[in-house]
Amino acid sequence: MNDKILAAPLDLDPFVGSEPRLENALTRRINSDPESVQKGLAQLVLTIVELLRQLMERQALRRVDAGTLTDEQVERLGHTFRELDARMTELVEEFGLTLEDLNLDLGPLGRLL
Amino acid sequence: MTQTTFAQRDVALVDLLDRLLGGGVVVAGEITLAVADVDLVHVSLRALVSSVASAQAELPPPAAS
Amino acid sequence: MIDLLAITDADAPPAAPVRLIRAGGLGALCAPASSEPADSDALWRHEELVEELMAERALLPVRFGTRVSGEDEIAALLAERRDEFAAALEHVRGAVELAVRVQPSGAPGSLDAEHDVHGPLRALARDTSIQPGDDLFRAAYLVDRGGVGVFVRAVRRLQERNPGLAVLCTGPWPPYSFASGPRPS
Repeated sequence: MNDKILAAPLDLDPFVGSEPRLENALTRRINSDPESVQKGLAQLVLTIVELLRQLMERQALRRVDAGTLTDEQVERLGHTFRELDARMTELVEEFGLTLEDLNLDLGPLGRLL
Repeated sequence: MTQTTFAQRDVALVDLLDRLLGGGVVVAGEITLAVADVDLVHVSLRALVSSVASAQAELPPPAAS
Repeated sequence: MIDLLAITDADAPPAAPVRLIRAGGLGALCAPASSEPADSDALWRHEELVEELMAERALLPVRFGTRVSGEDEIAALLAERRDEFAAALEHVRGAVELAVRVQPSGAPGSLDAEHDVHGPLRALARDTSIQPGDDLFRAAYLVDRGGVGVFVRAVRRLQERNPGLAVLCTGPWPPYSFASGPRPS
């Protein structure tokens, strides 16, 4: 890792800065857009993720109703969706949005979620 | 570890992140989202469109009210 | 799901678990989708893997975290962007990426990094890409493998001559900043 440094001054402080952490690097990448574009993009991405999550949940519930899963599978699924739900809430908060914000209004096509 | 080693690691990590997350070939329609040091959530837009279509086909017809 | 690591035009089969999926003269180096969390250790392991692959073939690294659903998608990607990838591979063949960042050192001296550091260094590189960031100056240089030593010595000399600047050089990296090929000059 530090053998990637080919030439450096004795004092590395000017380069360590405030942003070496993974989460900050990701935020920085998104934050390089103007605020409205950034928020719109995050909103779109999260909406898609939420849509996918709901689809997966519906498909899983259909299989639970049809009785084609073992008790263990049902329990694992429940746990997974609780995790996903918690993850979605975190993600949404991280971008300063609410779950309501994700329900984009597509005009004549109605609401997305 | 000494303080120098932490600084060296951080400095190299900044350049690594710039490249891995900000550079490289970008494949259109692929979105990747990472939350802090935890999961990588990835959505393929092409896969999503086809899974929406097939999920809708599978849904039971609306119950008669 | 498949993690897409890099694009190449070489036939050489990679070591497992990496696979080469070929279409129309190009290939995609892939691995089964990883379920590990994307922390900094995972990123360094990914980097090591790409560098190992690069030691044996020209490649265009793909952005980290790119995942595709199957081989059909990969074949379609390679067909769609064949010319673009072929040109970019030609552009980076035999070269590595070196990263340079410049900050004020706090000592007195000129702060004209673009003239005093970039000017001399670009002459030693095949291509350069100046990048926005929090630094006074930041750029990536595409340098012939054989020219890395000369480049690094030049960086050190430029540091000595510019006490007002702090100059950092890291690498060699796969050509992340040049994966879209030659820039219009």
